[in-house]
Amino acid sequence: MADTPAVSVNHLTKVFKGTLVKGAFRAVQDLSLEVKAGEVYGLIGPNGSGKSTTMKVILGLLKPTQGSTSIFGVPSTEVASRHSVGFLPENPYFYKHLTGRETLHFYGSLCGMRGERLKARTDEMLAITGLEDAATRRVGGYSKGMLQRLGLAQALIHEPRLLVLDEPTAGVDPAGSRKIRDLIIEFRARGITVLVTSHLLEQMQEVCDRVGIMAHGRMVREGRLEDLIAVENQTEMVLENASPALLTKINALIQAEGGDTKLVRSGRPRTTLERLFIEATNESKKP
Amino acid sequence: MSDAPTSPNTEAQTRVRFSPRRVWTLAMATVTQLVRMKILAFLVVFCLLAVGAGFAFSVINPEQQLNLLKSVTLGSLQIFSIVIGVVSTALLLPKDMEDRTLYTILSKPVPRFDYLLGKLIGVLLLIGGGLIVMDAVLSLILWLRQSMLFEDAVARMQMEKLDSPEAVAQVREIVARQGLTWNLHWAVWAIFLKATVVTTVALLLSSIASSTLFTIVITFCITIIGHGEALIREFFFQPNLSGMASRAATLVLAVICPDLAQFDIVDSVVSGEIVPWGAVYDMTGIAALYVTVYLFVTHLLFVEKEL
Repeated sequence: MADTPAVSVNHLTKVFKGTLVKGAFRAVQDLSLEVKAGEVYGLIGPNGSGKSTTMKVILGLLKPTQGSTSIFGVPSTEVASRHSVGFLPENPYFYKHLTGRETLHFYGSLCGMRGERLKARTDEMLAITGLEDAATRRVGGYSKGMLQRLGLAQALIHEPRLLVLDEPTAGVDPAGSRKIRDLIIEFRARGITVLVTSHLLEQMQEVCDRVGIMAHGRMVREGRLEDLIAVENQTEMVLENASPALLTKINALIQAEGGDTKLVRSGRPRTTLERLFIEATNESKKP
Repeated sequence: MSDAPTSPNTEAQTRVRFSPRRVWTLAMATVTQLVRMKILAFLVVFCLLAVGAGFAFSVINPEQQLNLLKSVTLGSLQIFSIVIGVVSTALLLPKDMEDRTLYTILSKPVPRFDYLLGKLIGVLLLIGGGLIVMDAVLSLILWLRQSMLFEDAVARMQMEKLDSPEAVAQVREIVARQGLTWNLHWAVWAIFLKATVVTTVALLLSSIASSTLFTIVITFCITIIGHGEALIREFFFQPNLSGMASRAATLVLAVICPDLAQFDIVDSVVSGEIVPWGAVYDMTGIAALYVTVYLFVTHLLFVEKEL
Protein backbone atom coordinates (compact mmCIF):
# COMPACT_ATOMS: atom_id res chain seq x y z
CA MET A 1 0.00 0.00 0.00
CA ALA A 2 2.96 2.26 0.74
CA ASP A 3 4.07 2.00 -2.90
CA THR A 4 0.63 2.92 -4.27
CA PRO A 5 1.02 6.25 -6.03
CA ALA A 6 -1.09 9.11 -4.71
CA VAL A 7 -2.16 9.93 -8.26
CA SER A 8 -1.87 7.76 -11.29
CA VAL A 9 -2.77 8.97 -14.79
CA ASN A 10 -2.52 6.34 -17.51
CA HIS A 11 -2.69 7.30 -21.18
CA LEU A 12 -5.36 9.89 -20.52
CA THR A 13 -7.07 11.47 -23.51
CA LYS A 14 -9.91 13.92 -23.12
CA VAL A 15 -11.90 15.15 -26.08
CA PHE A 16 -14.71 17.65 -25.60
CA LYS A 17 -17.58 17.07 -27.98
CA GLY A 18 -18.06 19.74 -30.57
CA THR A 19 -21.17 21.58 -31.67
CA LEU A 20 -22.56 22.07 -35.15
CA VAL A 21 -20.46 25.22 -35.46
CA LYS A 22 -17.28 24.14 -33.65
CA GLY A 23 -15.57 20.81 -33.98
CA ALA A 24 -14.48 18.54 -31.15
CA PHE A 25 -11.64 19.81 -28.99
CA ARG A 26 -8.85 17.54 -27.82
CA ALA A 27 -7.78 18.99 -24.46
CA VAL A 28 -5.49 16.20 -23.28
CA GLN A 29 -3.66 13.69 -25.47
CA ASP A 30 -2.24 10.39 -24.20
CA LEU A 31 -1.02 11.82 -20.90
CA SER A 32 0.63 9.61 -18.31
CA LEU A 33 2.01 10.73 -14.98
CA GLU A 34 2.42 9.49 -11.46
CA VAL A 35 2.52 11.48 -8.23
CA LYS A 36 4.26 9.58 -5.44
CA ALA A 37 2.84 9.65 -1.94
CA GLY A 38 4.32 12.46 0.14
CA GLU A 39 5.76 14.58 -2.68
CA VAL A 40 4.80 17.98 -4.06
CA TYR A 41 4.21 17.67 -7.79
CA GLY A 42 3.86 20.77 -9.92
CA LEU A 43 1.93 20.64 -13.17
CA ILE A 44 2.83 23.66 -15.24
CA GLY A 45 2.05 24.87 -18.69
CA PRO A 46 0.56 27.78 -20.62
CA ASN A 47 -3.17 28.53 -20.59
CA GLY A 48 -5.12 25.89 -22.50
CA SER A 49 -2.40 23.27 -22.13
CA GLY A 50 -4.79 20.84 -20.41
CA LYS A 51 -3.70 21.18 -16.76
CA SER A 52 -7.15 21.98 -15.33
CA THR A 53 -8.81 19.33 -17.50
CA THR A 54 -6.35 16.76 -16.18
CA MET A 55 -7.11 17.82 -12.61
CA LYS A 56 -10.85 17.60 -13.20
CA VAL A 57 -10.52 14.08 -14.59
CA ILE A 58 -8.40 13.08 -11.57
CA LEU A 59 -11.16 14.46 -9.30
CA GLY A 60 -13.93 12.68 -11.20
CA LEU A 61 -15.54 15.93 -12.37
CA LEU A 62 -14.90 14.96 -15.99
CA LYS A 63 -14.88 11.52 -17.56
CA PRO A 64 -11.86 10.45 -19.60
CA THR A 65 -12.40 9.79 -23.29
CA GLN A 66 -9.62 7.22 -23.13
CA GLY A 67 -7.27 6.05 -20.41
CA SER A 68 -7.79 6.12 -16.68
CA THR A 69 -6.86 7.97 -13.52
CA SER A 70 -6.79 6.86 -9.89
CA ILE A 71 -6.21 8.29 -6.44
CA PHE A 72 -4.32 6.00 -4.06
CA GLY A 73 -5.32 3.11 -6.28
CA VAL A 74 -9.05 3.89 -6.33
CA PRO A 75 -10.36 4.82 -9.81
CA SER A 76 -11.39 8.48 -10.03
CA THR A 77 -14.73 7.43 -11.48
CA GLU A 78 -15.65 6.04 -8.05
CA VAL A 79 -16.96 8.51 -5.49
CA ALA A 80 -14.95 6.65 -2.82
CA SER A 81 -11.71 8.03 -4.33
CA ARG A 82 -12.72 11.45 -3.00
CA HIS A 83 -12.27 10.35 0.63
CA SER A 84 -8.54 10.86 0.25
CA VAL A 85 -8.49 14.13 -1.65
CA GLY A 86 -9.04 17.80 -0.92
CA PHE A 87 -9.47 20.22 -3.82
CA LEU A 88 -8.94 23.96 -4.10
CA PRO A 89 -10.21 25.27 -7.46
CA GLU A 90 -8.88 28.40 -9.10
CA ASN A 91 -10.54 31.55 -7.70
CA PRO A 92 -12.99 29.67 -5.48
CA TYR A 93 -16.29 31.12 -4.32
CA PHE A 94 -18.39 29.74 -1.54
CA TYR A 95 -21.96 30.30 -0.38
CA LYS A 96 -21.65 33.97 0.41
CA HIS A 97 -24.48 33.95 2.93
CA LEU A 98 -22.65 31.47 5.16
CA THR A 99 -19.94 32.54 7.60
CA GLY A 100 -16.42 31.12 7.39
CA ARG A 101 -17.12 28.74 10.26
CA GLU A 102 -20.47 27.62 8.77
CA THR A 103 -18.72 26.97 5.46
CA LEU A 104 -16.19 24.66 7.08
CA HIS A 105 -18.96 22.93 9.06
CA PHE A 106 -20.83 22.41 5.79
CA TYR A 107 -17.87 20.79 4.03
CA GLY A 108 -16.96 18.74 7.09
CA SER A 109 -20.53 17.44 7.36
CA LEU A 110 -20.45 16.43 3.69
CA CYS A 111 -17.46 14.26 4.54
CA GLY A 112 -19.36 12.56 7.36
CA MET A 113 -17.75 14.50 10.21
CA ARG A 114 -19.87 15.73 13.11
CA GLY A 115 -20.00 16.72 16.75
CA GLU A 116 -16.87 17.60 18.70
CA ARG A 117 -14.56 16.22 16.05
CA LEU A 118 -16.00 18.55 13.40
CA LYS A 119 -15.90 21.53 15.75
CA ALA A 120 -12.30 20.87 16.77
CA ARG A 121 -11.19 20.34 13.18
CA THR A 122 -12.97 23.53 12.07
CA ASP A 123 -11.20 25.54 14.78
CA GLU A 124 -7.89 23.95 13.82
CA MET A 125 -8.35 24.81 10.14
CA LEU A 126 -9.36 28.38 10.94
CA ALA A 127 -6.22 28.73 13.03
CA ILE A 128 -3.90 27.22 10.42
CA THR A 129 -5.22 29.48 7.67
CA GLY A 130 -5.32 32.57 9.88
CA LEU A 131 -9.06 33.08 9.58
CA GLU A 132 -10.00 32.90 13.27
CA ASP A 133 -10.90 36.59 13.45
CA ALA A 134 -13.09 36.32 10.35
CA ALA A 135 -14.77 33.05 11.35
CA THR A 136 -18.13 34.66 12.14
CA ARG A 137 -18.14 37.00 9.16
CA ARG A 138 -20.12 36.10 6.06
CA VAL A 139 -17.99 34.83 3.20
CA GLY A 140 -19.50 37.48 0.90
CA GLY A 141 -17.31 40.06 2.67
CA TYR A 142 -14.04 38.10 2.37
CA SER A 143 -11.11 39.37 0.30
CA LYS A 144 -9.65 37.23 -2.48
CA GLY A 145 -6.78 36.09 -0.28
CA MET A 146 -9.18 35.14 2.51
CA LEU A 147 -11.34 33.17 0.08
CA GLN A 148 -8.26 31.34 -1.10
CA ARG A 149 -7.30 30.46 2.49
CA LEU A 150 -10.87 29.39 3.24
CA GLY A 151 -10.62 27.22 0.13
CA LEU A 152 -7.50 25.61 1.54
CA ALA A 153 -9.23 25.08 4.89
CA GLN A 154 -12.22 23.34 3.27
CA ALA A 155 -9.89 21.21 1.17
CA LEU A 156 -8.12 20.04 4.34
CA ILE A 157 -11.15 19.71 6.62
CA HIS A 158 -11.47 15.92 6.30
CA GLU A 159 -7.73 15.26 6.68
CA PRO A 160 -7.09 14.15 3.11
CA ARG A 161 -3.87 12.40 2.09
CA LEU A 162 -3.79 14.29 -1.20
CA LEU A 163 -4.30 18.00 -1.89
CA VAL A 164 -5.08 19.18 -5.41
CA LEU A 165 -4.49 22.91 -5.79
CA ASP A 166 -5.40 24.69 -9.01
CA GLU A 167 -3.60 28.03 -9.19
CA PRO A 168 -3.66 28.46 -5.38
CA THR A 169 -2.02 31.90 -5.49
CA ALA A 170 -4.03 33.40 -8.37
CA GLY A 171 -5.07 36.94 -7.51
CA VAL A 172 -3.45 36.85 -4.07
CA ASP A 173 -0.99 39.55 -2.96
CA PRO A 174 2.68 38.55 -2.41
CA ALA A 175 2.27 38.22 1.38
CA GLY A 176 -0.78 35.98 1.00
CA SER A 177 0.97 34.10 -1.74
CA ARG A 178 3.96 33.52 0.52
CA LYS A 179 1.65 32.28 3.27
CA ILE A 180 0.12 29.72 0.91
CA ARG A 181 3.59 28.65 -0.24
CA ASP A 182 4.63 28.15 3.39
CA LEU A 183 1.49 26.09 4.01
CA ILE A 184 2.33 23.82 1.06
CA ILE A 185 5.80 23.25 2.49
CA GLU A 186 4.19 22.49 5.86
CA PHE A 187 1.80 19.99 4.27
CA ARG A 188 4.71 18.17 2.69
CA ALA A 189 6.47 18.03 6.05
CA ARG A 190 3.38 16.37 7.48
CA GLY A 191 3.27 13.76 4.75
CA ILE A 192 0.43 15.20 2.67
CA THR A 193 0.87 14.74 -1.07
CA VAL A 194 0.29 17.92 -3.08
CA LEU A 195 -0.54 18.23 -6.76
CA VAL A 196 -0.37 21.90 -7.72
CA THR A 197 -0.65 24.05 -10.82
CA SER A 198 0.54 27.63 -10.96
CA HIS A 199 1.76 30.25 -13.36
CA LEU A 200 4.18 31.58 -10.76
CA LEU A 201 7.13 29.47 -11.77
CA GLU A 202 9.45 30.90 -9.14
CA GLN A 203 7.09 29.73 -6.40
CA MET A 204 6.71 26.33 -8.03
CA GLN A 205 10.48 26.07 -8.05
CA GLU A 206 10.52 26.73 -4.31
CA VAL A 207 7.96 24.11 -3.32
CA CYS A 208 7.93 21.30 -5.89
CA ASP A 209 9.87 18.06 -5.69
CA ARG A 210 8.95 17.11 -9.25
CA VAL A 211 7.33 18.98 -12.09
CA GLY A 212 5.59 18.10 -15.31
CA ILE A 213 5.43 20.63 -18.12
CA MET A 214 2.37 20.38 -20.36
CA ALA A 215 1.79 21.96 -23.75
CA HIS A 216 -1.03 21.34 -26.21
CA GLY A 217 -2.47 18.61 -24.01
CA ARG A 218 0.74 16.58 -23.85
CA MET A 219 3.49 16.15 -21.29
CA VAL A 220 6.58 17.68 -22.87
CA ARG A 221 8.99 17.42 -19.92
CA GLU A 222 8.84 15.70 -16.56
CA GLY A 223 11.23 14.95 -13.74
CA ARG A 224 12.86 16.01 -10.50
CA LEU A 225 13.09 19.76 -10.36
CA GLU A 226 16.80 19.73 -9.51
CA ASP A 227 17.56 17.58 -12.53
CA LEU A 228 15.44 19.61 -14.89
CA ILE A 229 16.83 23.03 -14.03
CA ALA A 230 20.46 22.15 -13.37
CA VAL A 231 22.92 23.42 -16.02
CA GLU A 232 25.05 20.34 -16.46
CA ASN A 233 28.40 21.96 -17.27
CA GLN A 234 28.33 24.86 -14.78
CA THR A 235 29.12 25.12 -11.04
CA GLU A 236 27.87 27.84 -8.71
CA MET A 237 29.66 29.10 -5.59
CA VAL A 238 28.20 31.84 -3.39
CA LEU A 239 30.72 33.39 -1.02
CA GLU A 240 30.03 35.61 1.95
CA ASN A 241 32.43 38.34 3.14
CA ALA A 242 35.02 37.42 0.51
CA SER A 243 37.88 39.94 0.32
CA PRO A 244 38.96 41.39 -3.09
CA ALA A 245 42.28 39.60 -2.62
CA LEU A 246 40.55 36.20 -2.30
CA LEU A 247 38.49 36.89 -5.41
CA THR A 248 41.66 37.79 -7.33
CA LYS A 249 43.23 34.49 -6.19
CA ILE A 250 40.23 32.49 -7.33
CA ASN A 251 40.28 34.24 -10.71
CA ALA A 252 43.97 33.46 -11.05
CA LEU A 253 43.37 29.79 -10.23
CA ILE A 254 40.67 29.58 -12.91
CA GLN A 255 42.95 31.12 -15.52
CA ALA A 256 45.78 28.82 -14.46
CA GLU A 257 43.51 25.77 -14.94
CA GLY A 258 43.22 26.55 -18.68
CA GLY A 259 41.30 24.33 -21.08
CA ASP A 260 37.55 24.87 -21.27
CA THR A 261 37.30 26.17 -17.72
CA LYS A 262 36.27 29.83 -17.60
CA LEU A 263 34.50 32.23 -15.28
CA VAL A 264 31.08 32.88 -16.80
CA ARG A 265 29.81 35.45 -14.35
CA SER A 266 30.64 37.02 -10.99
CA GLY A 267 29.02 39.75 -9.00
CA ARG A 268 26.55 40.27 -6.20
CA PRO A 269 23.59 37.91 -6.11
CA ARG A 270 20.26 39.66 -6.24
CA THR A 271 17.27 39.10 -4.05
CA THR A 272 13.91 38.55 -5.70
CA LEU A 273 11.31 41.29 -6.02
CA GLU A 274 9.00 39.08 -3.95
CA ARG A 275 11.46 38.87 -1.06
CA LEU A 276 12.08 42.62 -1.25
CA PHE A 277 8.29 43.22 -1.14
CA ILE A 278 7.83 40.96 1.90
CA GLU A 279 10.75 42.58 3.75
CA ALA A 280 9.62 46.12 2.93
CA THR A 281 5.99 45.54 3.92
CA ASN A 282 7.03 43.75 7.12
CA GLU A 283 9.36 46.66 8.03
CA SER A 284 6.51 49.14 7.62
CA LYS A 285 4.50 47.17 10.21
CA LYS A 286 7.23 47.61 12.84
CA PRO A 287 6.67 50.55 15.24
CA MET B 1 -2.68 20.27 12.67
CA SER B 2 -2.82 16.50 12.92
CA ASP B 3 0.54 14.96 12.13
CA ALA B 4 -0.19 11.99 9.97
CA PRO B 5 -2.84 12.44 7.33
CA THR B 6 -5.34 9.74 8.00
CA SER B 7 -8.60 8.76 6.46
CA PRO B 8 -11.68 9.41 8.58
CA ASN B 9 -13.26 6.08 7.86
CA THR B 10 -11.40 3.34 6.10
CA GLU B 11 -14.46 1.15 5.72
CA ALA B 12 -16.42 3.98 4.15
CA GLN B 13 -13.66 4.41 1.57
CA THR B 14 -14.57 1.22 -0.18
CA ARG B 15 -17.98 2.48 -1.21
CA VAL B 16 -19.99 5.67 -0.84
CA ARG B 17 -23.67 5.04 -0.33
CA PHE B 18 -26.68 7.33 -0.30
CA SER B 19 -26.64 9.25 2.97
CA PRO B 20 -29.74 11.00 4.36
CA ARG B 21 -27.45 12.99 6.68
CA ARG B 22 -25.44 14.30 3.74
CA VAL B 23 -28.64 15.15 1.84
CA TRP B 24 -29.91 16.98 4.93
CA THR B 25 -26.65 18.95 5.16
CA LEU B 26 -27.05 20.05 1.55
CA ALA B 27 -30.75 20.83 2.06
CA MET B 28 -30.09 22.94 5.15
CA ALA B 29 -27.32 24.86 3.39
CA THR B 30 -29.78 25.58 0.57
CA VAL B 31 -32.46 26.71 3.01
CA THR B 32 -29.97 28.94 4.88
CA GLN B 33 -28.84 30.45 1.60
CA LEU B 34 -32.39 31.16 0.42
CA VAL B 35 -33.58 32.44 3.81
CA ARG B 36 -30.61 34.81 4.02
CA MET B 37 -31.44 35.97 0.49
CA LYS B 38 -34.73 37.10 2.12
CA ILE B 39 -36.80 34.98 -0.27
CA LEU B 40 -39.04 33.62 2.49
CA ALA B 41 -39.58 37.09 3.93
CA PHE B 42 -40.59 38.31 0.48
CA LEU B 43 -43.09 35.46 0.18
CA VAL B 44 -44.62 36.17 3.59
CA VAL B 45 -44.87 39.95 3.03
CA PHE B 46 -46.47 39.48 -0.36
CA CYS B 47 -49.02 36.99 0.95
CA LEU B 48 -49.89 39.24 3.90
CA LEU B 49 -50.55 41.98 1.37
CA ALA B 50 -52.73 39.52 -0.53
CA VAL B 51 -54.68 38.74 2.66
CA GLY B 52 -55.16 42.49 3.15
CA ALA B 53 -56.36 42.78 -0.43
CA GLY B 54 -59.01 40.17 0.37
CA PHE B 55 -60.69 42.74 2.61
CA ALA B 56 -60.32 45.64 0.23
CA PHE B 57 -63.24 44.89 -2.09
CA SER B 58 -66.85 45.78 -1.36
CA VAL B 59 -69.01 42.71 -0.81
CA ILE B 60 -72.67 41.94 -0.59
CA ASN B 61 -72.80 39.18 2.02
CA PRO B 62 -70.58 37.21 4.49
CA GLU B 63 -70.33 34.27 2.11
CA GLN B 64 -68.89 36.48 -0.62
CA GLN B 65 -66.49 38.11 1.86
CA LEU B 66 -65.03 34.76 2.95
CA ASN B 67 -64.92 33.49 -0.64
CA LEU B 68 -62.97 36.53 -1.74
CA LEU B 69 -60.52 36.26 1.14
CA LYS B 70 -59.79 32.59 0.37
CA SER B 71 -59.69 33.11 -3.37
CA VAL B 72 -57.20 35.99 -3.33
CA THR B 73 -54.94 34.44 -0.70
CA LEU B 74 -54.85 30.91 -2.09
CA GLY B 75 -54.35 32.28 -5.60
CA SER B 76 -51.38 34.34 -4.41
CA LEU B 77 -49.90 31.37 -2.57
CA GLN B 78 -50.24 29.24 -5.69
CA ILE B 79 -48.48 31.75 -7.93
CA PHE B 80 -45.71 32.56 -5.51
CA SER B 81 -44.91 29.02 -4.44
CA ILE B 82 -44.41 28.14 -8.11
CA VAL B 83 -42.42 31.31 -8.86
CA ILE B 84 -40.12 30.77 -5.88
CA GLY B 85 -39.69 27.08 -6.65
CA VAL B 86 -38.78 27.72 -10.28
CA VAL B 87 -36.59 30.77 -9.79
CA SER B 88 -34.70 29.35 -6.77
CA THR B 89 -34.01 26.06 -8.49
CA ALA B 90 -33.06 27.68 -11.78
CA LEU B 91 -30.62 29.97 -9.97
CA LEU B 92 -28.99 27.58 -7.51
CA LEU B 93 -27.52 24.90 -9.74
CA PRO B 94 -26.01 27.11 -12.49
CA LYS B 95 -24.69 29.47 -9.81
CA ASP B 96 -22.94 26.61 -8.04
CA MET B 97 -21.28 25.74 -11.35
CA GLU B 98 -20.41 29.31 -12.22
CA ASP B 99 -18.85 29.97 -8.80
CA ARG B 100 -17.07 26.59 -8.85
CA THR B 101 -18.79 25.76 -5.54
CA LEU B 102 -20.02 22.61 -7.24
CA TYR B 103 -16.39 21.51 -7.79
CA THR B 104 -15.59 21.79 -4.10
CA ILE B 105 -18.76 19.88 -3.17
CA LEU B 106 -18.44 17.07 -5.72
CA SER B 107 -14.71 16.68 -5.08
CA LYS B 108 -15.74 15.54 -1.59
CA PRO B 109 -17.21 12.03 -1.23
CA VAL B 110 -20.64 13.26 -2.33
CA PRO B 111 -22.61 11.25 -4.94
CA ARG B 112 -24.27 13.49 -7.50
CA PHE B 113 -27.71 12.15 -6.61
CA ASP B 114 -27.25 13.28 -2.99
CA TYR B 115 -26.39 16.75 -4.25
CA LEU B 116 -29.47 16.94 -6.49
CA LEU B 117 -31.80 15.63 -3.81
CA GLY B 118 -30.32 17.98 -1.21
CA LYS B 119 -30.92 20.99 -3.45
CA LEU B 120 -34.49 19.89 -4.23
CA ILE B 121 -35.35 19.21 -0.59
CA GLY B 122 -33.84 22.55 0.41
CA VAL B 123 -36.08 24.47 -1.99
CA LEU B 124 -39.12 22.40 -0.98
CA LEU B 125 -38.42 22.98 2.71
CA LEU B 126 -38.43 26.70 2.04
CA ILE B 127 -41.69 26.55 0.08
CA GLY B 128 -43.25 24.18 2.63
CA GLY B 129 -42.15 26.35 5.55
CA GLY B 130 -43.57 29.45 3.89
CA LEU B 131 -46.86 27.68 3.11
CA ILE B 132 -47.20 26.39 6.70
CA VAL B 133 -46.74 29.92 8.04
CA MET B 134 -49.23 31.29 5.55
CA ASP B 135 -51.69 28.50 6.25
CA ALA B 136 -51.56 29.35 9.94
CA VAL B 137 -51.98 33.08 9.30
CA LEU B 138 -54.82 32.53 6.83
CA SER B 139 -56.57 30.10 9.20
CA LEU B 140 -56.40 32.60 12.05
CA ILE B 141 -57.65 35.47 9.91
CA LEU B 142 -60.41 33.33 8.39
CA TRP B 143 -61.56 32.14 11.82
CA LEU B 144 -61.61 35.70 13.20
CA ARG B 145 -63.37 36.97 10.11
CA GLN B 146 -66.02 34.26 10.10
CA SER B 147 -66.73 34.90 13.82
CA MET B 148 -67.08 38.62 13.17
CA LEU B 149 -69.26 38.12 10.12
CA PHE B 150 -71.51 35.67 11.94
CA GLU B 151 -71.96 38.06 14.86
CA ASP B 152 -72.65 40.96 12.47
CA ALA B 153 -75.18 38.89 10.56
CA VAL B 154 -76.94 37.77 13.76
CA ALA B 155 -76.99 41.36 15.09
CA ARG B 156 -78.50 42.56 11.81
CA MET B 157 -81.12 39.81 11.95
CA GLN B 158 -81.96 40.74 15.54
CA MET B 159 -82.44 44.38 14.50
CA GLU B 160 -84.70 43.31 11.67
CA LYS B 161 -86.47 40.81 13.99
CA LEU B 162 -85.54 37.95 11.66
CA ASP B 163 -83.45 36.01 14.16
CA SER B 164 -85.45 32.82 14.30
CA PRO B 165 -83.38 29.77 15.43
CA GLU B 166 -83.70 28.26 11.94
CA ALA B 167 -82.46 31.47 10.25
CA VAL B 168 -79.54 31.80 12.67
CA ALA B 169 -78.64 28.13 12.13
CA GLN B 170 -78.76 28.66 8.38
CA VAL B 171 -76.40 31.66 8.58
CA ARG B 172 -74.10 29.69 10.92
CA GLU B 173 -74.01 26.82 8.42
CA ILE B 174 -73.22 29.10 5.45
CA VAL B 175 -70.49 30.96 7.31
CA ALA B 176 -68.99 27.74 8.67
CA ARG B 177 -68.91 26.11 5.21
CA GLN B 178 -67.18 29.15 3.69
CA GLY B 179 -64.95 29.73 6.70
CA LEU B 180 -62.18 27.72 8.29
CA THR B 181 -62.42 24.00 7.45
CA TRP B 182 -59.97 21.18 6.77
CA ASN B 183 -60.53 21.91 3.10
CA LEU B 184 -58.40 25.03 3.43
CA HIS B 185 -55.42 22.92 4.56
CA TRP B 186 -55.98 20.46 1.71
CA ALA B 187 -55.94 23.39 -0.71
CA VAL B 188 -52.59 24.51 0.72
CA TRP B 189 -51.35 20.90 0.49
CA ALA B 190 -52.41 20.78 -3.18
CA ILE B 191 -50.57 24.06 -3.79
CA PHE B 192 -47.45 22.53 -2.21
CA LEU B 193 -47.74 19.38 -4.33
CA LYS B 194 -48.10 21.40 -7.51
CA ALA B 195 -45.09 23.57 -6.59
CA THR B 196 -43.12 20.40 -5.81
CA VAL B 197 -43.79 18.92 -9.24
CA VAL B 198 -42.97 22.19 -11.02
CA THR B 199 -39.77 22.62 -8.95
CA THR B 200 -38.65 19.11 -9.93
CA VAL B 201 -39.22 19.98 -13.59
CA ALA B 202 -37.10 23.12 -13.07
CA LEU B 203 -34.36 20.98 -11.49
CA LEU B 204 -34.40 18.65 -14.48
CA LEU B 205 -34.11 21.54 -16.91
CA SER B 206 -31.40 23.32 -14.93
CA SER B 207 -29.30 20.14 -14.95
CA ILE B 208 -29.09 20.29 -18.76
CA ALA B 209 -29.54 23.99 -19.53
CA SER B 210 -26.65 26.39 -19.75
CA SER B 211 -28.65 29.48 -18.80
CA THR B 212 -30.92 30.36 -15.92
CA LEU B 213 -33.26 32.31 -18.18
CA PHE B 214 -33.79 29.27 -20.42
CA THR B 215 -34.70 27.13 -17.40
CA ILE B 216 -37.15 29.71 -16.05
CA VAL B 217 -38.86 30.38 -19.37
CA ILE B 218 -39.20 26.71 -20.38
CA THR B 219 -40.41 25.68 -16.91
CA PHE B 220 -43.12 28.34 -16.99
CA CYS B 221 -44.11 27.19 -20.48
CA ILE B 222 -44.36 23.60 -19.23
CA THR B 223 -46.37 24.82 -16.22
CA ILE B 224 -48.85 26.59 -18.49
CA ILE B 225 -49.08 23.60 -20.83
CA GLY B 226 -49.40 21.28 -17.81
CA HIS B 227 -52.63 23.01 -16.81
CA GLY B 228 -54.10 22.08 -20.20
CA GLU B 229 -52.85 18.49 -20.28
CA ALA B 230 -56.42 17.15 -20.52
CA LEU B 231 -56.97 19.22 -23.67
CA ILE B 232 -53.73 17.89 -25.18
CA ARG B 233 -54.76 14.28 -24.49
CA GLU B 234 -58.20 14.94 -25.94
CA PHE B 235 -56.60 16.49 -29.01
CA PHE B 236 -54.25 13.51 -29.43
CA PHE B 237 -57.06 10.97 -29.35
CA GLN B 238 -59.13 12.82 -31.95
CA PRO B 239 -59.60 10.39 -34.82
CA ASN B 240 -59.41 13.09 -37.51
CA LEU B 241 -56.12 14.62 -36.29
CA SER B 242 -54.20 15.40 -39.46
CA GLY B 243 -50.52 14.70 -39.96
CA MET B 244 -47.96 12.60 -38.17
CA ALA B 245 -46.00 15.70 -37.11
CA SER B 246 -49.00 17.14 -35.21
CA ARG B 247 -49.66 13.78 -33.60
CA ALA B 248 -46.00 13.35 -32.62
CA ALA B 249 -45.76 16.89 -31.21
CA THR B 250 -48.93 16.36 -29.19
CA LEU B 251 -47.64 13.03 -27.89
CA VAL B 252 -44.30 14.57 -26.85
CA LEU B 253 -46.07 17.37 -24.99
CA ALA B 254 -48.42 14.92 -23.31
CA VAL B 255 -45.51 12.75 -22.16
CA ILE B 256 -43.14 15.53 -21.06
CA CYS B 257 -45.55 17.87 -19.29
CA PRO B 258 -47.05 16.97 -15.92
CA ASP B 259 -50.83 17.09 -15.60
CA LEU B 260 -51.01 20.00 -13.18
CA ALA B 261 -54.81 20.20 -13.36
CA GLN B 262 -54.78 17.16 -11.04
CA PHE B 263 -53.84 19.55 -8.22
CA ASP B 264 -56.43 22.22 -9.00
CA ILE B 265 -58.73 22.00 -6.01
CA VAL B 266 -58.43 25.63 -4.94
CA ASP B 267 -61.57 26.71 -6.84
CA SER B 268 -63.59 23.90 -5.23
CA VAL B 269 -62.32 24.87 -1.78
CA VAL B 270 -63.11 28.53 -2.38
CA SER B 271 -66.67 27.69 -3.37
CA GLY B 272 -67.05 25.63 -0.18
CA GLU B 273 -67.07 22.15 -1.69
CA ILE B 274 -65.85 19.25 0.46
CA VAL B 275 -62.57 17.66 -0.65
CA PRO B 276 -62.78 13.89 -0.12
CA TRP B 277 -59.85 12.00 1.44
CA GLY B 278 -59.59 9.89 -1.71
CA ALA B 279 -58.84 12.98 -3.79
CA VAL B 280 -56.08 13.97 -1.37
CA TYR B 281 -54.51 10.48 -1.59
CA ASP B 282 -54.72 10.56 -5.38
CA MET B 283 -53.10 13.99 -5.60
CA THR B 284 -50.30 12.97 -3.27
CA GLY B 285 -49.68 9.73 -5.15
CA ILE B 286 -49.63 11.46 -8.53
CA ALA B 287 -47.20 14.09 -7.23
CA ALA B 288 -44.93 11.39 -5.76
CA LEU B 289 -44.93 9.57 -9.09
CA TYR B 290 -44.07 12.71 -11.06
CA VAL B 291 -41.29 13.66 -8.64
CA THR B 292 -39.79 10.14 -8.75
CA VAL B 293 -39.79 10.02 -12.54
CA TYR B 294 -38.45 13.55 -13.05
CA LEU B 295 -35.79 13.08 -10.37
CA PHE B 296 -34.69 9.79 -11.91
CA VAL B 297 -34.32 11.40 -15.34
CA THR B 298 -32.51 14.37 -13.77
CA HIS B 299 -30.08 11.98 -12.10
CA LEU B 300 -29.41 10.13 -15.37
CA LEU B 301 -28.62 13.44 -17.07
CA PHE B 302 -26.62 15.00 -14.22
CA VAL B 303 -24.47 11.95 -13.56
CA GLU B 304 -23.20 12.16 -17.15
CA LYS B 305 -22.76 15.92 -17.07
CA GLU B 306 -19.23 17.20 -17.71
CA LEU B 307 -18.44 19.84 -15.11
